[in-house]
Amino acid sequence: MTTDTTALTTEHSPVAGLAHDARGGISNPVLGMLLFITSEVMFFAGLFAAYFNVRANAAQWPPINPESGEAFHIAIFPLVGPATVLLILSSFTCQFAVWAIRRNDRTAFLRNIAVTFGIGVVFLIMQGIDYAELGREGLTLSSGTYGTTYFTLTGFHGAHVFAGVIMLGVVLYRGMAGQFSARHHDAVEAASLYWHFVDVVWILLFSLLYLLPGNAPRV
Amino acid sequence: MATTALHPAAPAYRSSLYDWVTTTDHKKIGILYVINSFVFFFIGGLLAMGVRLELAQPGLQFVADQTYNEIFTMHATFMIFLFVIPMLAGFGNYIVPLQIGAPDMAFPRINALSFWMLPLAGILLLLSFVTGGSAAAGWTSYSPLAQDRPLGAVGPGQDLWVVALVLIGTSSILGAVNFLVTMFKMRAPGMTLFRMPIMTWTVLVTSVLVLLATPVITSALIMLFIDRNYGGSFFDPANGGDAILYQNIFWFYSHPAVYVMVLPAMGMISEILPVFSRKPLFGYRAFVFATAAIGALGFSVWAHHMFTTGAVYLPFFSFVTFLIAIPTGVKMFNWIFTLWGGKLTLSTPLLFALGFLSMFLIGGINGAVSASVPVDFAIHDTYWVVAHLHYVLFGGSVFGIMGGLYYWFPKMTGRMMSESLGKVQFVLMFVGFNLTFFPMHQLGLAGMPRRIADYSSASGWNDLNLLATIGGFTIAASMLPLLWNVFVSLRSGEPAGDDPWEGNTLEWATSSPPPPYNFDHLPPIRSERPVFDQRHGDVPHTKTPPGPDRTQQIPAGR
Amino acid sequence: MARSPRTGRSPSARFGIRALVVGLILVVAVGAAIAVGVDVALTGQSFVSSFFPPVAVTDQGERIRDLYGIVFFIAVAIFFLVEGLIIWTVVRYKRRPGDDELPVQTHGNMIAETVWTVVPTIIVAFLFIISWQTLNVVDTVSATPETRIRAVAGQFQWSFDYLANDGKTVLYQQFLPTGEDGGMTVPTGRTIKLDLTSLDVIHAFYVPQFLFKRDVVPGRTNSFEFNVKDSDAGQTFRGQCAELCGAGHRIMLFEVHALTPADYDAWLQARIAEKAAAPTPAPSGAPAPSGEPAASGQPAASGQPATGAGPTLIVSAINVAFEQTALTGPANTPFKIEFDNKDASVPHNVAIHEGSPTGPELFKGEVFPGVAKKTYDVPALPAGAYAFVCTVHPNMTGTLTVN
Repeated sequence: MTTDTTALTTEHSPVAGLAHDARGGISNPVLGMLLFITSEVMFFAGLFAAYFNVRANAAQWPPINPESGEAFHIAIFPLVGPATVLLILSSFTCQFAVWAIRRNDRTAFLRNIAVTFGIGVVFLIMQGIDYAELGREGLTLSSGTYGTTYFTLTGFHGAHVFAGVIMLGVVLYRGMAGQFSARHHDAVEAASLYWHFVDVVWILLFSLLYLLPGNAPRV
Repeated sequence: MATTALHPAAPAYRSSLYDWVTTTDHKKIGILYVINSFVFFFIGGLLAMGVRLELAQPGLQFVADQTYNEIFTMHATFMIFLFVIPMLAGFGNYIVPLQIGAPDMAFPRINALSFWMLPLAGILLLLSFVTGGSAAAGWTSYSPLAQDRPLGAVGPGQDLWVVALVLIGTSSILGAVNFLVTMFKMRAPGMTLFRMPIMTWTVLVTSVLVLLATPVITSALIMLFIDRNYGGSFFDPANGGDAILYQNIFWFYSHPAVYVMVLPAMGMISEILPVFSRKPLFGYRAFVFATAAIGALGFSVWAHHMFTTGAVYLPFFSFVTFLIAIPTGVKMFNWIFTLWGGKLTLSTPLLFALGFLSMFLIGGINGAVSASVPVDFAIHDTYWVVAHLHYVLFGGSVFGIMGGLYYWFPKMTGRMMSESLGKVQFVLMFVGFNLTFFPMHQLGLAGMPRRIADYSSASGWNDLNLLATIGGFTIAASMLPLLWNVFVSLRSGEPAGDDPWEGNTLEWATSSPPPPYNFDHLPPIRSERPVFDQRHGDVPHTKTPPGPDRTQQIPAGR
Repeated sequence: MARSPRTGRSPSARFGIRALVVGLILVVAVGAAIAVGVDVALTGQSFVSSFFPPVAVTDQGERIRDLYGIVFFIAVAIFFLVEGLIIWTVVRYKRRPGDDELPVQTHGNMIAETVWTVVPTIIVAFLFIISWQTLNVVDTVSATPETRIRAVAGQFQWSFDYLANDGKTVLYQQFLPTGEDGGMTVPTGRTIKLDLTSLDVIHAFYVPQFLFKRDVVPGRTNSFEFNVKDSDAGQTFRGQCAELCGAGHRIMLFEVHALTPADYDAWLQARIAEKAAAPTPAPSGAPAPSGEPAASGQPAASGQPATGAGPTLIVSAINVAFEQTALTGPANTPFKIEFDNKDASVPHNVAIHEGSPTGPELFKGEVFPGVAKKTYDVPALPAGAYAFVCTVHPNMTGTLTVN
């Protein structure tokens, strides 16, 4: 035991030398990310609860746009449908990247992460273009309950995609700097979990907002 | 016995300001939380004095109506979000890694981030007073009153309030992730889950509640912000929204939040009672299950805050609300029977723990009365509810916090606090608290609604209000011996040593204050009282003797 | 080495401090007792009855009060039992100085733990069942109530619509929430269904003597039924908004007047007849029906354009406040007040009180909801200081100087 107590910081303490999973099971960062994702699920749950409530209480869904006299309408093509396909694809490439780094294949890992990152960026751009188009058609945040819920739900999903893109960017950067190996790549696992979560939320959102049929006007 | 070369009063702990601002050490961060929380406790307390001053006599003497609405809104906001919740998180931050024998929390930098979001949020809230009026729709901020449209709607202040609360919520959630990973993954060898100290258990259940519930209020606040600033239609009926929807989403968080506010305080007194009775906690396992049951049930009862809205399925929520009384009662008896047959030393920590027991008993009982829906029709939104919430939050949480402060101050600073000043504080606080809040039962029953700036003297509420104000000043007076005690003890309190109280849990197995890495050496962990076992290994136990040595063989990794 | 907990002071200092502490408690306790004793004497309520809600004036309220009695009794019993246990335990098991031996290290006791889980469960189940039974009686809404009234809550007043049997047609609207000629008048004995609607934010309809409240939520109509007891005919009960609704929350008072069914019917018929005889309020901008030329194009400042026999003062109200703070009027001459109520759906009036807003009422203009204008004919007043007030919102005041 050293008597120079000032040197005994956390890094040099007797337990610091232990490898990550000394007792087996998932690593701290991965457990932390799973728990964080749980909290994010609850955040979306609150938004979904509002959406379901609003939709169940509406006389008609989609409601009539007071300015045009017709029901609001959001289109799957040309933007949102393909964007969805791309996002699902990116979950695959993300998982390929994880499998690659687990077997120490740095090249495949970097390639797949770069593609995932790229698709994320493209998704955001497509979302932005779609928002602009909807705005031109008269659907905004202040377009009654329909516009409010649509933009809030997809907007916060988009914000989470943005965060995921940043995470993937950091992982890509660190990967290119050679910081990951088969033994040591917690950040990659954590980022991929987050990315899958973002994708699952989108599948749910897309199904509810675009695929679930509305109801005929109640007289 | 663990000793290090570190002397308690050594300059090594006189860290520089830079150290404090950039620290990732859970102990320093814990102390920062405690200090920040006390600052906002005093600010919230000043606001409370504003309320009591105005209500002491009929007639608007000091503030205008809207200002009064701001005062009680911010009083509750500061107390809930910047005092009780972070104070308990701060104590948890300091104590939990020590109690489980870990060197720090799982994510020390996120720990620091969690803390620093709090003074920032506090500043935003304070700023709201000077931006044309702070939030003034109550801490519950119901729509449509909280929208930007109604008569007298508040401007930027309400939006700052929303932003500050989202910041605080994020801080809590990150803290919860940190606590859970720490508790699940960083326990010392031999410490199975059922050998964790009760304080750690309550922080665990609290963290689960925070993790699952806080994001829901974040969503409600964000939807309110969108309504106010972007023409949204979530909660404003004038826009096609639903006012009751807000209440449902809000209370889905805010009810578990009250358990977030009380469970760690229950954990604290569950540490204090065994040590000062010199017996183990009675019914440790039952206590753990009761805590978990309260946490789980706590998610099912939210609409008991909405019995009078006409939009709630009353029998279900009444039923589950009554149900929660059962695990709470189990805990109460566990505590009492910890004392029973013991040898009690009436030091200040124990006095506050006993105060907790008595006051939380009243708070639990008057809450159970409200669980009866027809009775709630009469007493909802009256001063009865103000009595209830203060008996559980002040009589419960604050007394628990004070007990924890006196109990762990020696560990944190290496100095004992003055017992006499502590007892003076306790007496003043206990008497003042009951003087303030007990009459509110009668006021509520007599028909005095909440959140009114003034009342007519024809109502007959004058005397009880004056009594409550006198009590309020007594509580304020009790802060003086507290502050004096803290400052004097920091400078010249008696050196505490490792274990001044003959404690049970691992924090007492290291120096006071502990070295940065917490432990040089851990005693064997074979029960929930490892330090006790080390001190009294040969004492006969009834029912649950210390278990087998489950120390795993750790590969030599240094 | 472990040490036992200690206080670190000399015995005499400890005694002195304890004496000080005990003295402090005594002083405060005696002070509190005096305060409570004074309270008891002054209000005439006995200590025990202060722990009960008021005596109920409705059948439903009486059921609630009976339920409260049972719940309260159980609550008090549990409190004394458990608190007694705490106090006794603390006194009995105090450590004697010098006794360092450990007590028996009891970890638990299955029988005790089972008992104190099962017994509270039974108590709680009992409380739930009796509460549910009372709820079913208290919260029912029948298909054909005998009397239908609608309470309309706004910022910051109550108004009451007396409805026909279809529940929709308004027979008579009462805009004054309090006073002899205001408030909600109800017949005793009959089943009254009260609908609750809000003009703006959430309010709550609360009458302590009904032991009942119900929220008034914009976007939905809550309803409940009540029967006032026959023995309470002729009485007035106070009510108040019980959900924070803004700056004027505390002034949202109202009264409920109970009449015998015969008196109520007569009262309602008289009000309907009165309303049929009186002209409807002039819509905004139209000339006042009294025939006098109304002032036009005047700014909303205190002023008196000289048009005709007596001057016309301009008063306007918006956002539950008068736009004028001070008016001047002519002494000993009748004059007019042209009152412009700019608050949509909110009833206001202008009343003149002698000296201060709480002085004797000398003139009360008709209460009407906005957006509309009315011209009041004010009788001659001697010179002096007066106040003008809105009868519905007593915090709306201004000064009137007559010279």
